[in-house]
Amino acid sequence: MSDSLLTPGPGTETESAVVEREGMNVEGRSFAEQAWTRFRKHKLAIISTIALVLIALSFVFGPLLSPYTVEGIDIANRLQGPGAEHFFGTDALGRDLFVRTVSGGRFSLLIAIIVSLLTTVLGTVIGALGGYLGGWVDGFLSQLTNLFLIVPALVILIVVGREYGGSPISTAVLLGVLLWPGIARIVRGLFLQYKNQEFVLAARAAGAKSPRIMFRHILPNTIGPIVVSATLLIGTAIILESTLSFLGLGVQAPATTLGTLVSDAKGSLTERPYELLLPAGFIVGITLAINFLGDALRDALDPTTGRS
Amino acid sequence: MFAYATRRVLTSIPLLLLGTFLVYALTSQVNDPLAPLRMNVNLDQSAYDRVIDLYNLDQPVPVRFANWLGDAVQGDMGTAPSRGDVEVAPLVWDRFKNSARLAVPAFILIATFAVILGVYSAVNQYKPSDYIITGFSFFGLSMPTFVFGLLLQVIFVVYWLQWFDLKPFNVSQMLTGSFGDVIASHTLPVVTLMLVLLAGESRFQRAAMLEVLNSDYIRTARAKGLPRRTVIFKHAMRNAMIPLVTIWAIDFAALLGGSVVTESIFAWPGLGRLLIDSIFAADLNLVTGIIVLIATLVVFFNLLADLIYGVLDPRIRYE
Repeated sequence: MSDSLLTPGPGTETESAVVEREGMNVEGRSFAEQAWTRFRKHKLAIISTIALVLIALSFVFGPLLSPYTVEGIDIANRLQGPGAEHFFGTDALGRDLFVRTVSGGRFSLLIAIIVSLLTTVLGTVIGALGGYLGGWVDGFLSQLTNLFLIVPALVILIVVGREYGGSPISTAVLLGVLLWPGIARIVRGLFLQYKNQEFVLAARAAGAKSPRIMFRHILPNTIGPIVVSATLLIGTAIILESTLSFLGLGVQAPATTLGTLVSDAKGSLTERPYELLLPAGFIVGITLAINFLGDALRDALDPTTGRS
Repeated sequence: MFAYATRRVLTSIPLLLLGTFLVYALTSQVNDPLAPLRMNVNLDQSAYDRVIDLYNLDQPVPVRFANWLGDAVQGDMGTAPSRGDVEVAPLVWDRFKNSARLAVPAFILIATFAVILGVYSAVNQYKPSDYIITGFSFFGLSMPTFVFGLLLQVIFVVYWLQWFDLKPFNVSQMLTGSFGDVIASHTLPVVTLMLVLLAGESRFQRAAMLEVLNSDYIRTARAKGLPRRTVIFKHAMRNAMIPLVTIWAIDFAALLGGSVVTESIFAWPGLGRLLIDSIFAADLNLVTGIIVLIATLVVFFNLLADLIYGVLDPRIRYE
């Protein structure tokens, strides 16, 4: 058989020529590129990201650049106001508050990131299993989720915080174990929505097993809302950790977080408000930036939202 | 509808029981009721025996729970050793009423302002007023309650006295004598309770309103020449408030359950502070009693929300 059918005769346009003429030669953009284009439009989110990076860098490198240490007591220079010598002043024991704040922030951020990762993994797996498998598994997992939602997380944290909290890691694990129901509900809903769609049927027809369908085919579609939840969880975790530490049930001295610093400063609020305002400002600043970031990500990662 | 309601009530009961058992087991695990006694070296064995007997500490946890539950369903929630052996039920009820003194006004104000701010923000989307309201709600969501409460105290009590020589608010106790006393002692805790929930609810109301405003029937209403006011208030706002019912129920239950943080900061004799105190005193009966009440509130208001939701939105059918 000759190839004459495939070679264009004289006077016929090739497909690429049509594409060229019609101005359709736009290169396809990947999902990540489109998301980045949408994300860039949010000026506040860009500012927030830069602010978060700067705050994180100051938390990591701040203690290294300062001549003072977290526990270094210097009674001669106690209760100094903020100044050139001590950026944030000193506390009642003469400990440098700048070093204490930045290294406390280090632990607060570390706790928040561990909480976010742990919660996201737990919530995603539980939500995915419930939504995809349905039946009694879903019934059981849904009731388990409801059980965790019946008693507010803060109440449970208060009950167990005194016994199992204390160190930054144990506080992080406690928070992570309690916060997963929110994300599990979201993921379950998404899996329910996707599991009967054609691409899943196609994958099953091609012989893919359930775990492969769940994690290679459906999960990538749900990554947007999961990333947004994980981001916002960092803010939630910072607030909950500082609240627990404020109540005396979270991280215990000598470990220092932003929450314990606020708690230490509440007695001297009238005389030296900066002792409270500086760590509290970091808590509010980080959470605010995370919330702006999460909101922009929600916009950027959802292909159906277009700002009109 | 009736069948759905019955089934929801029936499935709530085992959930509540299981939740109560887990809380009981957890509390027994982490709180040692004998610990406060060990602080006092002068006590003899009879003091220990009394507490062991009170909680049946010589029995395994499931047996203890069965005993506790058997008494509880008959209305006997036990006594609270850390409070001079008073009955738990009247004490918890008393503190619950104090929490409600803050929760009810806070809830009414939150619900009202959330609808106003959310609707206004949605109608004026991407205008400066929308950005200001959105900015406020982001700020509210990012501010821990204890920071806000402490700031209010410092500004309106300490600095107000320095600047204007006025002390308009009382933040050290709950006063109920005259109307002026009520305002002076209730205002700041109510405002503290409002911040986070108002921020969240107004965001939610804005999103719900935007979704309705972009729907086809609103375009039809506008196209047939209805005044903007009628479209917004009669057609859009009513529908946009329906999804808020669920949030209201969750928030109201949370408020009634007492706020640990707000009550601690303002020395308020409510449920939240009682919970903290009873945990530090390892008072098992009291801790369990409070948490059971909080859990019951959550379950009850969630159920109520689901039922109201079905009445308000006839498209929702329960199977």
